[in-house]
Parts: sequence; structure tokens; C-alpha cells
Amino acid sequence: MAENILVIGGGPAGLNAATMLSELGVKVTLAERDSFLGGNPKKFKYKFLFPDMQPADDVIGKLIKKAETNSNIKVYLSSEVSDFKENGKKFDATIKSPDGNETKTFDSVIVATGFEHFDPARDAKYSYQLFDDVIDIKDLERMMGEGNFVRPSNGQPPKNVAFILCVGSRDRHVGNQYCSRVCCTVSVKQAIELREHFPDCEVYIFYMDIRTYGFFEDLYWKAMEEYDVQIVKGRVAEITSGENNTVICKGEDTLLRGPFEIPFDMVVLASGMEGGPQSSEMAKKLGLELDEHGFLKPQNVTLAPFKSNKEGVFLAGACTGPKAISDSITEGGAAAMDAYIYAVKNH
Amino acid sequence: MEYDENGVSIVPFELKKEIFEEARRDFRYEEYVRGCLNCGVCAGGCPPHRFFDFSPRIVLQKMKSKDPELIWTMMDEYVWACFQCFTCAMICPFLNSPGGVIAILREIAVRRGFESAKKVLKPYSRVLLKLTAYGNQLSPDMIQPDFFPDWGPHIGYASTDLAVKRKAIPMPTLQVTNLAWDVAPEAMKELYDIFDEAGVFKIIESVDPSLYEIIQDIVDDVRSS
Ligand SMILES: Cc1cc2nc3c(=O)[nH]c(=O)nc-3n(C[C@H](O)[C@H](O)[C@H](O)COP(=O)(O)OP(=O)(O)OC[C@H]3O[C@@H](n4cnc5c(N)ncnc54)[C@H](O)[C@@H]3O)c2cc1C
Ligand code: SF4
Ligand code: SF4
Ligand code: SF4
Repeated sequence: MAENILVIGGGPAGLNAATMLSELGVKVTLAERDSFLGGNPKKFKYKFLFPDMQPADDVIGKLIKKAETNSNIKVYLSSEVSDFKENGKKFDATIKSPDGNETKTFDSVIVATGFEHFDPARDAKYSYQLFDDVIDIKDLERMMGEGNFVRPSNGQPPKNVAFILCVGSRDRHVGNQYCSRVCCTVSVKQAIELREHFPDCEVYIFYMDIRTYGFFEDLYWKAMEEYDVQIVKGRVAEITSGENNTVICKGEDTLLRGPFEIPFDMVVLASGMEGGPQSSEMAKKLGLELDEHGFLKPQNVTLAPFKSNKEGVFLAGACTGPKAISDSITEGGAAAMDAYIYAVKNH
Repeated sequence: MEYDENGVSIVPFELKKEIFEEARRDFRYEEYVRGCLNCGVCAGGCPPHRFFDFSPRIVLQKMKSKDPELIWTMMDEYVWACFQCFTCAMICPFLNSPGGVIAILREIAVRRGFESAKKVLKPYSRVLLKLTAYGNQLSPDMIQPDFFPDWGPHIGYASTDLAVKRKAIPMPTLQVTNLAWDVAPEAMKELYDIFDEAGVFKIIESVDPSLYEIIQDIVDDVRSS
């Protein structure tokens, strides 16, 4: 009889883990909290993905299709793991779905419950939710995905737009000391898209450090050279309302201007990634460890990044920390390998 | 003090080092100075940063440099540009307190009787005199154009005919211009004890020795009454 493996979370990481296992002949149970597969990229309708602007629908769509059409994968939507017990080296888990409760025994488990977007309203200095024209990168991603590229306050195209990096990241006040890794690249990507869409619109990026690591740097250079995006070093201290329905960014340009107050039509906050309530929920339910940043903690970040502290339970994707889709997909595959080895050994 | 050919005082490196170490020894130092991202968010929220060549980011960066020369450059007018509003401490992502660092440096400047401290505190010698003599902080007769120039463009008019203006106040006052209210001698004595304990008299002695003499006479009088 084939091995049974439970994958919790149907984002890029969980989808790839499920697909790879199914190709090995494993019977996969995929439990997804939302009513659809695809994770955050699907939920927020990402349109084009960095680094190479592939349509998100192509990438995520392909992953979803593979999982949905594979007879070895049973997908449970709008569902959760309501009960979880160890059973020798195996695990008994109850999946609660709209069709009722189902309890099965699994040889191993992969947790791929991903991340939550930081809620910028938690940092009052940015006036998110106070002014319509202050949005964040996930809002803009969704607006672009829906082909709705205009100022929320009046439906007009913006004349100038500011991106503010590191919102909800690298800040002790909001409790997140870490860097969210993707928000620089997402912002640079969106800045390019804005300039493409509205060639007359000026785009500024206010940064502390630009972390378009590795080959993502190409996008950053492109933004400056080909799209004339203004890159200003300094974190914005306050956003207030200005004349003619503008929002004013106030801060220190630490390299050039010194103090500045610039009115913008729109401000986009590069809010970061958090482990979200699902990380602590998984930790509690499955007996996993949380790290000091609120993400699930690998047994050894270097040697065993996909193993959890619990034998037989493996981790993949953004549930262990901020990362890009390519990394999440890679991790899904790697965790599948770990979970498969454990399952075969103890089957 | 020695001076160079341009009339600039020569301050020995040893003194600069001493000042830096005095700041680092302060019990608040560790809490106020942590890491620094050089992000400028403190400066973005800092009121004087908009108007003067002053930045709490620079304050923190200089402190972190551990370079006594750099820290010395702030000991003159620089530290007195701060409003002590602590907006910087409220928004710094590292939870630094540039305003707190400035408080430490100012206290050093005051304790050591630096010229900048004397200059800045000059108008307040009148306040201190009033306070030690009468237990009042301000009274109408202190409104004079030479002092507190930051009291606005109408200070000249405001300082004339004080007695008449006082009478025009539509509520009971002492009807004098040198007092706002009467303070009991017991309260005054208590105030002196607090000043003793907190080192306020010592500070006055270093910043304004002649004021200190006058104040000492008043304190002795009240204490022996
Ligand atoms: C604004 C923004 C734009 C981005 N753009 C790009 C880009 O262009 N290119 C790129 O490479 N990366 C991008 N990223 C990063 C990308 O979103 C992540 O790398 C990726 O989504 C992580 O995949 P994941 O499967 O680990 O997690 P997620 O996408 O978060 O998926 C996790 C899934 O688990 C489900 N889940 C959660 N809890 C439970 C539970 N208790 N039970 C069952 N299911 C649960 C969730 O509903 C979700 O479907 C972007 C990130 C942000 C913030
Ligand atoms: S990726 Fe960039 S914007 Fe995001 S937290 Fe890191 S430095 Fe800040
Ligand atoms: S305390 Fe001083 S340095 Fe800090 S914000 Fe206020 S004025 Fe600026
Ligand atoms: S806000 Fe804090 S971290 Fe940023 S420059 Fe000021 S002192 Fe440094």
C-alpha cells in the first residue's frame, strides 16, 4: 500500500510538495484553509512576478492545475486540521471540511501554512486607513491584478507616487526586527510597472537599504536606468494630508536634501511578511517550536532547514521566514523528499 | 585655555576623551544608544531638524563612532538645538533615544561649566533667582525685551506699564509686579533641600558663580528665619 502524507497549506510551497509526492506514488491529503488553492499570490491576485515578470497566473495556475488533476492528491478546501495526535511514528489527523470530519493516519506531515501580510495600520505614523491614497504593496498588487491602476480617492491617474520601504520590518516598535526580503524587489517591480503604465507619473522610493539581493538587483538597476525612478535614502517619519487632496511624506533625505516634505498623489507602503496567527496555531496543534520572530522554527537552520523539532513533521515555504516564490517552491520539493524518506522508513 | 593662530581654542584630546567616557559611563547610556540603521526617521520627526543644521541621526551616529573628536563637535552649540521633545525616541526603529543622549551631553556641559551652557542658561539665571528668592518661577517684571527674545515680536509692548496692566487682569492677583503668588517659608526650605539633593546648587555654582553667591545669601536668610 502507498504511503499517506498530509500537506497543510496550498500555497506555492504546499502545492509543489503535494505534486512531487504524488509523482512518487504517495497518497497526498492537501488541507487548505481558503476556498481556493494558490496561497497569497492567488489571494491578492498578484499580476506579474519578479524577477522576470512572468504572469502570476501562469506560474501559480500551473501549480494549481498539477495538484488538482493528480488522482493521488485529495484536496480539502475551506478546511483545517481540527485534531492531531501522534500514533507511534505516525500521526492521526482529523480534517474538518464543509463535507464533515475525516480522520486518517499519515506517515508524515508537511506544514506549508505560509505568511500573513503585515497590517500597516499597526504603525500609526503611516496613516494607513486614514487616507484613501495611502495603500500598501499587496493592495497595489491586487489593484494591478484587477487592472484598476488609479488613485483610490478619486479614480484619477496619479501624478506622483512614493514607495516607503521596510514598513512593519526592521522596526522594534512593531515587534519585527527581521528583514522581509521580498518587499524591496516587489516595490522596485511595482515602480517599473507604474512608470510603464503612467509614463508621466513620477515615482519615488524611500529606503534605508535596498535589498534586491542576488539577480533581483537587475530590476533595481533597470528601475533607475530605464524608468528613472527616484531612489531616496531616508525613512519617512510621518504622513499627513496636504493641499489638493495630496498626502505629504515628511522625513530626512540622509544623503542629499536633508529635511523634506513632499506632497504625493499616492503612497505605497512596502509592508512585510509575518508568521501570522497560523504559525502559532500550527505550533500549538502539532507541538512545533516558534522562533523569536513568530515563524515556525526549523530543527537546524543550516543543516536541517525543512525538519521541524518534531520527528516526522516537516516545514516548507514562508512559514519558516520571508522568502520568494522560487524559494518556496524549492522548499516544497525539498520537504517532500524529507517527508518521503521518513514515510518510507516507517511505513 | 590655549588658542591657535586663528583664535580658536585648542582643546586637548585628553579632555575630549574624558567627556566621551563620562557620557559612556552614564547609567542611561546603554538604554539610549543601541544599534543605528542611519535611516533618518528620528530626524524626519525632529522639529529643529527642519530649521537648523541639527540631526538626531548625526547625534546617534557620532556617539556610535566612539570618536571623541566627533563627539566634541556637539558639545558647543549643537546639543542646545534640541527641544527635548523625544519624538526621536518614540519613532526610532532601534529604540534609541537621541534626545536622551543629548540630555546626557548637556548635563556634562553644565556640570563642567562650558561656555555654551552658560550662554544658553543665562536667561534662566533670573528664573532661578526668582525661584530661590520667592518660590515663584516667573513674574511680570521679568518680561523684558533683552531676555527671552523668543517670546515674540510684542515683547517690547508687553514689558511697558506693567503695574497698570496687572490691575487690568480681571481676577484677584497680588497687585504687584514682582510676584505671582506668596509661598510659605516652609515650602521654600523644602525646595532648598530638594535643590541640595539634586545638585542644583552645584550646577548654579559652575554655570554662574556670581548668581550662586546671591542665591546662597538668600537661602541662608530663609533657612535661618
Ligand atoms: C506583496 C507581495 C508580492 C510578492 N510578489 C512576489 C513575486 O513577484 N515573486 C516572488 O517570487 N515572490 C513574491 N512574493 C513572495 C510570495 O508571496 C511568497 O514567497 C509565497 O507566497 C510563499 O508561499 P507559501 O506557499 O510558503 O505561503 P503562502 O503563499 O502564504 O500560502 C500558504 C497557504 O497556506 C494556507 N494556510 C494557512 N494556514 C492554514 C491552516 N491553518 N490550515 C490550512 N491551510 C492554511 C493559506 O491559506 C495559504 O493558501 C511576494 C510577497 C508579497 C508580500
Ligand atoms: S526587503 Fe527591503 S523593504 Fe523589505 S524589509 Fe528588507 S530592506 Fe526592508
Ligand atoms: S528630543 Fe531633540 S533630537 Fe529628539 S526629536 Fe526632539 S528635538 Fe529632535
Ligand atoms: S531613527 Fe534610530 S536607527 Fe534611525 S537614524 Fe535615528 S537613531 Fe539611527
